[in-house]
Amino acid sequence: MTGEMLGFAAVAVVLLAASLGVVLTPNLFHAVLYLAAALVATGVVFLLLDAPFLFGVQLLLYAGGVVTIVVFAIMLTERLVGQSIQQTSRYLINGAVLSAAVFVGVVGFLVQMPAIGPRQAWPGELTALLGRALMGPFVMPFELLAVLLVIALLGALYFARSDT
Amino acid sequence: MRTGSATLALIVLGLPFASFLLLALVRPLRRSAGAAAGVSITAIAGALVAAILDFRTAVPREPTQSPSTTWAWLPGDGGPMATVGVMVDDLSLTMLLLVTLVSLLVQVYSWAYLHDEPRPSLGRYYAYHSLFAFSMLGLVLAPNFLQMFIFWELVGLCSYLLIGYWYDRPSAARAAVKAFWITKLGDLGFVAGIVMLWSATGTFDFWTLFSMGTMGTLPVELLPCIMFLIYLGAVGKSAQFPLHIWLPDAMEGPTPVSALIHAATMVTAGVFLVNRAFPLFRLTPDVLVLVAWVGAFTALLAASMACVDDDIKRVLAYSTVSQLGLMMAAAGAAAPEAGFMHLVVHGVFKALLFLGAGVVIHVFHTNDVFRMGGLRPWPWTWLPFVVATLALAGVWPLPGFYTKEAILAGVLHAHLTLPFLMLALTSLLTSFYMFRVVFLAFFARPHGHAHTPHVPWLMDYVCRLLAALTLAIGFRMAFFGEHHEGPGWLPAFSLTLAGAGFVLAWAMYHRRVVDPARVAAALWPIDALARRRYFLDAIFAGLYRWVLLTFARLIGWTDRYLVDGVLNVLSAWTLRAGDRVRGLQTGLPQDYVYGVALGVLLLFVLAQWSLR
Amino acid sequence: MPLGAYLTLAALVFAIGLFGVLTRRNAVGILLGIELMLNAVNINLVAFARFRTDLAGLIFTLFTISITVAEVAVGLAIVIVLFRVRRTVEADHLDLPRG
Repeated sequence: MTGEMLGFAAVAVVLLAASLGVVLTPNLFHAVLYLAAALVATGVVFLLLDAPFLFGVQLLLYAGGVVTIVVFAIMLTERLVGQSIQQTSRYLINGAVLSAAVFVGVVGFLVQMPAIGPRQAWPGELTALLGRALMGPFVMPFELLAVLLVIALLGALYFARSDT
Repeated sequence: MRTGSATLALIVLGLPFASFLLLALVRPLRRSAGAAAGVSITAIAGALVAAILDFRTAVPREPTQSPSTTWAWLPGDGGPMATVGVMVDDLSLTMLLLVTLVSLLVQVYSWAYLHDEPRPSLGRYYAYHSLFAFSMLGLVLAPNFLQMFIFWELVGLCSYLLIGYWYDRPSAARAAVKAFWITKLGDLGFVAGIVMLWSATGTFDFWTLFSMGTMGTLPVELLPCIMFLIYLGAVGKSAQFPLHIWLPDAMEGPTPVSALIHAATMVTAGVFLVNRAFPLFRLTPDVLVLVAWVGAFTALLAASMACVDDDIKRVLAYSTVSQLGLMMAAAGAAAPEAGFMHLVVHGVFKALLFLGAGVVIHVFHTNDVFRMGGLRPWPWTWLPFVVATLALAGVWPLPGFYTKEAILAGVLHAHLTLPFLMLALTSLLTSFYMFRVVFLAFFARPHGHAHTPHVPWLMDYVCRLLAALTLAIGFRMAFFGEHHEGPGWLPAFSLTLAGAGFVLAWAMYHRRVVDPARVAAALWPIDALARRRYFLDAIFAGLYRWVLLTFARLIGWTDRYLVDGVLNVLSAWTLRAGDRVRGLQTGLPQDYVYGVALGVLLLFVLAQWSLR
Repeated sequence: MPLGAYLTLAALVFAIGLFGVLTRRNAVGILLGIELMLNAVNINLVAFARFRTDLAGLIFTLFTISITVAEVAVGLAIVIVLFRVRRTVEADHLDLPRG
């Protein structure tokens, strides 16, 4: 059992537990917190995959931004409704069966995959490579992404305006 | 054995047909009755002339020479499947003469008898007469079964049209339909027999079939069945038991029509068929025995019903049925020539009987014999009728004597004892009921004061002509004809029967020494049954109604429950399925995600399958 | 760790996220499930990028994260507006597309 394996096992356990918490806990606020934990664990997985830049991006955007937005949304909607953030689930068994089926389907493909060899080293510093790629071959999607974000911002503003 | 000219035969056939076409297509011609009558009578007179010419110029032929002239009609492999043409031999030549002569006389008589009819109706009447003449002549000249069957059906149609001439009378319309249906029953057998014969031999042609019969190449296994089926057609058309019930009702038609088609021509088509196809019937003796028995039984049955009827025309109708039975019995006894001779002479004197009855109906405006009488001072009213009665009763030297004796001799020769006895009793009854009518209609005490009856001269002269013809035929047979050898006691026996019938009728209805009511009471079972026509009409009507209603109910049930049912079930299921499927559209996005996930699973399965 | 382990982990997280989407009543809860699913996809992408030494996978992941953030923002804005109108976040009551 190498250190890498131990680390992976630990992170995997945390990630799975947190995911289950997200979907199973009745309290919505707790669910959001579990989501935050899951997102952080995912970031650690990125670290294990030698992508530190992505770890940083994950923490900043997901664990930071998305969780914050969701918390705001919960607070706003919960106050409008005026009851506690309790909720029950519907048709648990159906959902479980279907999810399990999808999982089995995906794993069915996985087992037929030929083994891919050991990891090669990145040809250089990953972050620099990423930067050069974003400004080089992937500059068009990058710029379009910027446009998309502006549109999303405008959309959110439109929805947020008052009715007068 | 002779054969006549085919051209002349075609002229005989063509003239009435041309007359019919002209009258059917040219409306103004038809609506003016005088012109219509003129066209029709001229045509039939021309046909008669051609028939006489053909008869006299006929030449002898070899037995192996075919008397038919045919043209190909329906195509088939290896030669035409069906032909049309004419077969001009002794049988058809004689029939041509009979049909054209009686048709001419009846058409002339009709002009006077139906003088009070509306003009357009009378034109229609003459059109029908032309069509009938054409059909009957075509039947008689047919060289094969198929053509004969076509004209057979045409003749049936004309019978329907003429019986139902006064179509606004419900009884007449019903009688016409009844005649059509009953004869159609027989025709079913006829057509089945013809088709079976064709499928066994490959031909409809008479001459070919007769040759095959003599050479022994005819397939004989099914032949009795086939000939029986063909005989069924004759049963219907010639009113043999049990399909005789249409003939008495057919008297709803005008009297000249009854004289023509229900005495001399149409009803004799069945007898003619048996005679024409006799070379084939000869090969099936069992069928012939049946024919003889049915004929004798029919003769007796009809004669019994004639004894109790008051309607003069109906008595004559039963008499016709009875005589037809006699002719069929002759054929069944393998003496077809005797039956055919009787057919010809019977055609003449029966037509005379009907036309003479027409005279007395015209005088008294009723058909009921008990309302007639007192015509003794005017012989020209009753003399033709009495001549015909003597002929029918079989008194020497009139035609009926020789032909009836020949038939009885033939039946005796074939060792058919019971049929012979039935026919003998029939002879007695024939004489009895005919003289009963004579005494009641002409010589009974008059009901009012007597005054000269007014009868149109045309009707009178036609009757006198027919009476003279009857006498002439009788004398010719008595003094110039050849006499067949029969048992020596037979002529005396038949004369005795005729005489006994006369005496009985004279005693009961003229001198009134024997009370008819007492006789009726003594024979009450037969009397009661005969008056009710032996319930045969009721049985037929009940059967017909039962079959039709059951079939109709079955069809109705099938339509409502199976045909409609299938449609209703399908539409109901569609609606219900639609309702159920609509339940899937809940509007909740999560349910749609379920759908998407299921679809993805399906794709996984498909991908795995294709990878295998 | 072999590639398969990471992929299996991602598949598990994906399945759990799908379970959340199917069973949660609250609209926000459903969005959380969607987040998990997207997360799992990201793990998949990065794992493949690492094991095939292909930078494109990582770039794709960056874009995915960015777009997800935008999507969450707009989605929650819609949820809030829906509330102002319908006064409820119960997913069972949001059945406007109902046939």
